[in-house]
Amino acid sequence: MKAATILLLLCLPLLVAAQGGRNVSELNISIAIFDPGIPADRSLHRDLQVFPRVREIEALYLPFVLREALVGTQEWGAVRVVPESDVAAELLVSGTIVRSDGETLQLQMRAVDASGRVWVDRVFAGVTANQQLYDDIATGLRTARAELDSKTLQNVIEISLLRYAQQLAPDAFAGYLSSTSDGTFRIERLPAANDPMVERIERIRGVEYVFTDAVDAKFRELSADVAIVYDVWREYRRKFTQYQIDDALHAQNSKSDAPRGSYEAILSRYENYKWDRQAAQEQESWAVGFENEVGPTITAIEARVAELEGWVEDRYAEWRRILTELFELETELPD
Amino acid sequence: MRRVLALCLLLNACSSQPTIDDSIRSYAGGMPANLSGSWERDYSRSDDIQGVLNSMLRKLSRPVQDPGFGNNRRGGGSVVPTQDLSKVVALARLADLITRPDVLTITQNEFEVSIARKDDFAMLCEFYDGYAKRTESDYGTEVCSWNGHQLVSHLVLPDGLLISHRFTKSADGRSLHVATTVSSSATRAPFTVNRVYVKFTPTESDFNCVETLSMKRVCSTGEIVP
Repeated sequence: MKAATILLLLCLPLLVAAQGGRNVSELNISIAIFDPGIPADRSLHRDLQVFPRVREIEALYLPFVLREALVGTQEWGAVRVVPESDVAAELLVSGTIVRSDGETLQLQMRAVDASGRVWVDRVFAGVTANQQLYDDIATGLRTARAELDSKTLQNVIEISLLRYAQQLAPDAFAGYLSSTSDGTFRIERLPAANDPMVERIERIRGVEYVFTDAVDAKFRELSADVAIVYDVWREYRRKFTQYQIDDALHAQNSKSDAPRGSYEAILSRYENYKWDRQAAQEQESWAVGFENEVGPTITAIEARVAELEGWVEDRYAEWRRILTELFELETELPD
Repeated sequence: MRRVLALCLLLNACSSQPTIDDSIRSYAGGMPANLSGSWERDYSRSDDIQGVLNSMLRKLSRPVQDPGFGNNRRGGGSVVPTQDLSKVVALARLADLITRPDVLTITQNEFEVSIARKDDFAMLCEFYDGYAKRTESDYGTEVCSWNGHQLVSHLVLPDGLLISHRFTKSADGRSLHVATTVSSSATRAPFTVNRVYVKFTPTESDFNCVETLSMKRVCSTGEIVP
């Protein structure tokens, strides 16, 4: 790992230089793993047909589907799925699963840029299997961006770097930004173009991006495995929803005319309940089957996320210490 | 009443439909008993449905003074009408059908008890913070309660049909007594059948199996990686 880090640090000036001539409208997007939207009250799960483990898998998988849609537009910079919300991201997209029943998917989406400006904050709904929902989100982001001029977008990029820098070296970057009561950030002054501290911060951020992208690439392979099983799950749920509709119609149209209290009448009542419950219980067994099938994949994803987070956290602590020491050295008054 | 009853079944005087009150806390802390395990029927200690029915029909056919059965006419009582007897037979047939599975597989965790039966739905008892939670559908309502160490399951179906199961584990934990009562607002006489089950350990398969979604049941002699 150490050798890889050194190699990356050597290559970084090239990476950073390559980003120099970027189009300001092509902001980098970070999509945080979604909030699965599982009700805290466990007693509601069955009533709402929320299968917690399946929701957790969806929360991990659906951001990748959105990422693919955004990458496909070729209108943005790097689009990354990140394990946790990164407030310093140029544009942070987060989502909560409101409803997912195989037929309908509802996502509460929120996109906030580094300056704290809210681009999108609403529910998007669509047919689960359809690409349209993701295209609608992409359109929402594009529309929000169209309302901003180049200077504002350039500000977003600068604020993003300064907020990231403040997380790593708060003393060195104090006073560059101010925050307003509505939670937005404004640039008060910019560091000098040749500020060595900024160059270091950019290098560090580059390292983080490279590692995020490496893990991200592995995620993509794994999400392809999940996609196959998820399609089966979605189809089962869709059929179940249709079954419930058909079953209700059937029950309505086929009421037993056997005398009240007769065996035929009471058997009919029992059988109706029995079939309804068996169908619901079969759906629960699908959820278990889904979890059994994609469980190893998800465990691998979670392990890699934990590995990345652990690595970044360790490096952060080290980088913070080094940057603090450098800042003290560089600002120290001569005796 | 020693313990707060978890559930009161109130037969509504104005309607033929039984109603359920599940707003009473059934227990505090963990569930009062652990019924989990595989249970198989002990025929020697279980009721013979035909015998129970014959005995009940004989009782109902005799002139009675009990106002609970038939018309209690002044001066000597009367027999239950034949029509009512056929309804009791209907209840017995349904009780026979419901209690036919030889094996009960009970799983229990912090929040629920699930009683799986072959060729039937799994009975489900959900409890949150000691309160029972109903399982409701367009076709009926299922709700349970704990009465001391007894688990009581009620299924309320349309037309005043009510099916109750009372599960009692023996002190040594080796047997499980299940009293199943089927009643209907169409007849005043409920039908109860008692079954006794003994705990057993299912034979271990040579295969490790796991249910999957796209490949159904996957079995292997080694470790399974779906």
